[in-house]
Amino acid sequence: MPANSSPKHEYEGQRALAEVLFNSIGDGAATTDEFGKITRINPTGLSIIGYSEEEVLGAWFPKLFIAYDENSQPVPLIDRPVTRAFVSGEIISERTHYRHKSGRLIPISMTISPIMVKNQPVGCIEIFRDITREYEIDKMKSDFISLASHQLRTPLSAIKTYSHMLIDGFMGGLTKPQLRALQTIVSASNRMNETISTLLNITRIESGSIIVSRKPISINQIIEEVINEHRLAAKDKKISVSFNQSDKPVVIISDAVVIKEVLSNLISNGIKYTPANGKVVLALKSKGGQAVISVADSGVGIPESSKDSVFTKFFRAENVIRQETSGTGLGLYLVKGLINELGGDVWFDSSENKGSTFYISLPLLPNTISVKSVKK
Amino acid sequence: MAKILIVEDDKDLNNAYKIILQSEKHKVKTAFNGEEALVLLKNYTPDLILLDLLMPILGGLELLERYDLKKHSKVRVLIFTNMENSPEVTKAYNLGATRCIIKSWTAPQNLSKVVNDTLKSTNTQLKLA
Repeated sequence: MPANSSPKHEYEGQRALAEVLFNSIGDGAATTDEFGKITRINPTGLSIIGYSEEEVLGAWFPKLFIAYDENSQPVPLIDRPVTRAFVSGEIISERTHYRHKSGRLIPISMTISPIMVKNQPVGCIEIFRDITREYEIDKMKSDFISLASHQLRTPLSAIKTYSHMLIDGFMGGLTKPQLRALQTIVSASNRMNETISTLLNITRIESGSIIVSRKPISINQIIEEVINEHRLAAKDKKISVSFNQSDKPVVIISDAVVIKEVLSNLISNGIKYTPANGKVVLALKSKGGQAVISVADSGVGIPESSKDSVFTKFFRAENVIRQETSGTGLGLYLVKGLINELGGDVWFDSSENKGSTFYISLPLLPNTISVKSVKK
Repeated sequence: MAKILIVEDDKDLNNAYKIILQSEKHKVKTAFNGEEALVLLKNYTPDLILLDLLMPILGGLELLERYDLKKHSKVRVLIFTNMENSPEVTKAYNLGATRCIIKSWTAPQNLSKVVNDTLKSTNTQLKLA
């Protein structure tokens, strides 16, 4: 046997190769032992955080890699990705901030995975990337959409206000055709407003700048309010909208404005995609620590071939496009994004030509740890 | 009947709000930016300021910073903006605004109702209408 192919040499060769591979990773990479001490970090990782290898190796990971939130506040240790990866044994992928040695906060995109040996975590490996440039672009996009939305709404406010003033007789009496024409203008400006709101909300979700407030709210009351807002549209299409009340009121700690937006989208879809004389039925249950709201319609349903893409951006089901029902294809994408922001979930059952039922679940109590794991 | 100051840079909207609120028998004064409003407010204390946020020369937030609402605790401020759910709205509440509504969502009959409701309220309400 040649000297350089002994098991010892083979092992050292593989180890050297692993070292070269690790150091060649274009993103930052660091590993820890089971106690969270940093055992290895590559040159890109060092350049991102600005420390030397001597300063990093052996340091306790959570002490050196402190995660900061959007408001530059340190994330509590229990909520940090490294802790959650250890506790849950899952891969955690998310955006956070780390502090450079110079004190500057750096936006980071990271994935941390527990290193498992015989089902026991013996450490973690984290891959992280400086996303300052992406952040700047996101902010520019978000600022642009906010400004554009504001500028679109200003003339819309005048159109709507003066149309209403004409309808309400501020400028004298109107004939029936004139009244109908004005009502069409108001209805079209409302639709434009909804589209602007949707675009704004999507931009905020995608840039991580959505503001969610958490207060005790009655889900029953919110459902009734949103149904009332859609009564007119339902009546116009001869569709009944009803709510099967739960035995007792369900109160959760969440954001009423966001939940209204979600329900409004689901009810509006139910009405839009249900033929005349159909029905939309809402129900509310509390089950396993979750409030579950369902919105069932007797509409056109979603074809099997479209089901996987229901919550994707610009989704329009094939059977719906054929009927040319108006829509941006952003509603359910927005619903999914908003519900995720609230720590809830959304799913559906549907049969073509029979109808669809969308379910949303919301935690009855606010989460103490929000685990955003990556499903691969 | 209340004294209302409208601060709105869009002339069409400013005029529309004036017509609507005068039809409800309110006494209305108008300004087209924060600076004009501050000049009026030197010798005039309205019951309610209907305030836009984004205006030239001096915006709504800057007006609230200069017109200290702690010294004018009886003056209600109704923010009327198209900057939905934005940090500017949160800041306006922190400066003492009573209520905030989205302009392009609000029909004239609702404007009168919101103004009347805001006039009745006594505490800062941290919520969107």
